[in-house]
Amino acid sequence: MVNLYRKGVLAVFIVKHSSKEYGTMHIPDGYISPATAGIMYGAAAPFWFIAAKKVRKSLSGRTIPVVALFASFSFVLMMFNIPMPGGTTGHAVGGTLLAIAAGPWAAVIGISVVLAIQALFFGDGGVMAFGANSFNMAIILPLVGYYVYRTVSGSSSPQSARRLFAAAAGSWIAIVTAALLTGIELGIQPLLFHSADGTPLYCPYGPGIAIPSMAVGHMFIAGPAEAIVTGLVLAYLFKTGFVPAADQEQSGGTGRLHLLWAGLGLVALLTPIGLLASGTAWGEWGVTELQELGLGFVPDGINRLAGWWPAPLPDYGFPRMGAVVGYILSTIAGVGAVAAMLWALGKTLLAKGRRSEA
Amino acid sequence: MLKAAEVKRKDVLSQNIFAVTKGLESAITTEHYSRYDGLLQRLDPRVKLATFAVLTAAVSFTESLAVLAVMLILVPLPGILSGIRPGFLLKRILLFIPVFTAVIAIPALFITKGDPLLSVGGHTIVTVQGAKTAAFLVLRVTDSLSLGALLVLTTPWTKLLATFRWFRIPSLFVSILSMTYRYIFVLLHTVNNMFLARKSRTPGTLTAKENRKWLGHTLAATMVKSLHISEQVYSAMLSRGYRDDRLTITRFKLHHRDLLWLLFASTVLTLSVWTG
Amino acid sequence: MSDRRIDSIFEAVDLSYDYPGGVPALSNVTFSIRPGETVALLGANGAGKSTLLKLLDGLIFPHNGTLNAFGLALSEESMNNPDRVLEFRSSVGLVFQDPDVQLFSPTVWEEVLFAPLQAGLERQEVINRGEQALELMGIEHLRNRAPYLLSSGEKKKVAISSVLSLRPDVLLLDEPSAGLDPFSQGKLIDFLVEWTGNDHCIVFSTQDLDMVEELATRVLILGQDHTLIADGPPDRFLSDPDFLLEANLVHAHSHRHKNLVHSHIHTHRHSHRHDS
Repeated sequence: MVNLYRKGVLAVFIVKHSSKEYGTMHIPDGYISPATAGIMYGAAAPFWFIAAKKVRKSLSGRTIPVVALFASFSFVLMMFNIPMPGGTTGHAVGGTLLAIAAGPWAAVIGISVVLAIQALFFGDGGVMAFGANSFNMAIILPLVGYYVYRTVSGSSSPQSARRLFAAAAGSWIAIVTAALLTGIELGIQPLLFHSADGTPLYCPYGPGIAIPSMAVGHMFIAGPAEAIVTGLVLAYLFKTGFVPAADQEQSGGTGRLHLLWAGLGLVALLTPIGLLASGTAWGEWGVTELQELGLGFVPDGINRLAGWWPAPLPDYGFPRMGAVVGYILSTIAGVGAVAAMLWALGKTLLAKGRRSEA
Repeated sequence: MLKAAEVKRKDVLSQNIFAVTKGLESAITTEHYSRYDGLLQRLDPRVKLATFAVLTAAVSFTESLAVLAVMLILVPLPGILSGIRPGFLLKRILLFIPVFTAVIAIPALFITKGDPLLSVGGHTIVTVQGAKTAAFLVLRVTDSLSLGALLVLTTPWTKLLATFRWFRIPSLFVSILSMTYRYIFVLLHTVNNMFLARKSRTPGTLTAKENRKWLGHTLAATMVKSLHISEQVYSAMLSRGYRDDRLTITRFKLHHRDLLWLLFASTVLTLSVWTG
Repeated sequence: MSDRRIDSIFEAVDLSYDYPGGVPALSNVTFSIRPGETVALLGANGAGKSTLLKLLDGLIFPHNGTLNAFGLALSEESMNNPDRVLEFRSSVGLVFQDPDVQLFSPTVWEEVLFAPLQAGLERQEVINRGEQALELMGIEHLRNRAPYLLSSGEKKKVAISSVLSLRPDVLLLDEPSAGLDPFSQGKLIDFLVEWTGNDHCIVFSTQDLDMVEELATRVLILGQDHTLIADGPPDRFLSDPDFLLEANLVHAHSHRHKNLVHSHIHTHRHSHRHDS
């Protein structure tokens, strides 16, 4: 229990020092290992490639000025201090707003470019970590926000209150998802990368601290700031008769893609749960402490797996393959379970929405 | 960085005016230093980008605190030889992010498991591993930041863009990057005028709710303006025969000093790999 | 274009254009512009001057009526032909009212080279043209500057240079004197007067009747109903106060001279004297 208390205090401490600044989710160089940074570049690359193709196709010759001006706007937006209820101020990323207004792929490129400028000129986010930052904030964030918006909007009339709600909900979910991802990327560092004597070489905090501290700050400050900004701006734009890109697409044409991305969004959202479970199982705390943390449910599989997972090999600072495989397996298991839950929830929500339309 | 001083200001409008003005100022200073005729400014930008990238990677890879500490001293030296005021460099590199990282790293001193470094009454307070991991974090962050800041402070933006193209970064991204940076200034000026106009019309202070609403409107108006500008820019590009974003005039030429620099950088790199 | 003998540069017959949403911008406008003419486009705000200039530059296309440039139709189909586009863009240049939308490159030098590069000229020719264009406007010293660090007068000069580097036969200028101080306005007029020799043609929109008097050989006036209400030599209209008042180009107002309140027509013309 003492351990748990200490962890809680720590999480609050870290949140307090990280949520005030807009660089919260921007990972500087030094926080993640070059291996993680490389993998994240690799994960981002196909999205950049698809985005470039899609944007060139939908905007043709206009691509450069349109995406550039949206990106400039998003840079300015990130600079703003948004007054929050309760007297504090928060910063928004504007990823979901951009994805709704300009289309998800334009947002992917636009925000990546903004992150590049922030990294180069302001040191906000590292150069090595640019792939990771882009994956979290410029790829997952706008894509999740966009598909939540599309899904919650359903067949409601353009510029309706439901669409505003959808946009705000999308913004919040997207930013929390991105924060969780960031938390995972930071949290796996001490587990995977440490020197022979056990010194963590990069971020020193494991998933048990990194994930909650990223999540909490973004659930209560950055997330609401993002939702407020998206809602206010879209409400204004709706009044002027502006039709955002997200509402211009024919829903029939993108149905399949839509599902695909909704799936991806869910996976992204759920990965941390699987990881939290697996991470702690490996880490300093046992399964019982995990239950104390309030995560009452620990999949049986993880319990059993915990037994035969070898500990990360200390001599090299890299884990044995078994640990990685175990982590992936448990993630998939956790993702599967909660995906089903959320899918059912989404179904009910959608059905309700349709009834209210009729 | 502009954040540290800003947090103290209570009124959101002033905070925002401050942030915008600082952003503009910082870019102008960067521009000023990048045109100075100094050591690093004279290097071929390709050589500079490549060496800085490799050194940044070395900072990331090394497992030796000694290497990181030596880099901390060594990296700012060429910057000072390039006409950058040490005070400015320190402020630019050390303010905010490393300090912030140091604060973040404090708990690691106490919670990292390992051999005792500081014990009080038989209880281990600080572990060796905790002290080392905190040092790793802070040094890595500071070294990487110094490298990035030096590169940007000593390379004109347009040369950096041309170098990105030379390294085969897709032209679409480089062109968007270039235009984004350009129009950030136009939008910042617009936003700043909107803030000042609001300030001049607001004798009292607004509630947070009123402020939010007003900020939302300002942002929306800025977004509409950015859409309008993008249409106009596209027309202006077409008007001058825009066909292809890959056309560029810049050519690079290597000099002896570039080779010397390469030698210096590879020595630093070899040493860091050898010791780390 | 010099190899082909042409009687008219632009030939507009019953030209109409509507803004999105069906709001008319131009209605049934007919005129023809010959080589060597300097045409001033007058009209109140919203009369359709900028729209007409964009039509003449082939950036937008008429919804009704026909528009020919150099004897060939200027239409969406004809502007799909790359050779035709290259030929047209190399002959006609448009200087936008807001220089910020026109200056999208990271430096002045790259801005000036944009058009010749896009036209596919040889490297040396591109550089020669760029240098000459800077020289023509007397802004060689701004070469390596970033557009966001320029004053509005300097921006205007760079915008004009960026079009001159194409060596166009026809210069379209949207409110060229807006935002310039009297000295810069005078310099601009001097330059344009000199440039109009050699069969060069200028079409410019303006609110500045002094500029019309000093520069224009012909005036086109658009009315509030977006039709062409006058076409002829400038002195015919500039000396007819009733007509100017009716076209909203001047306004009557009252003001106070010491204690005497009186009413008169205000032309926004500065007094000047002729030295020669």
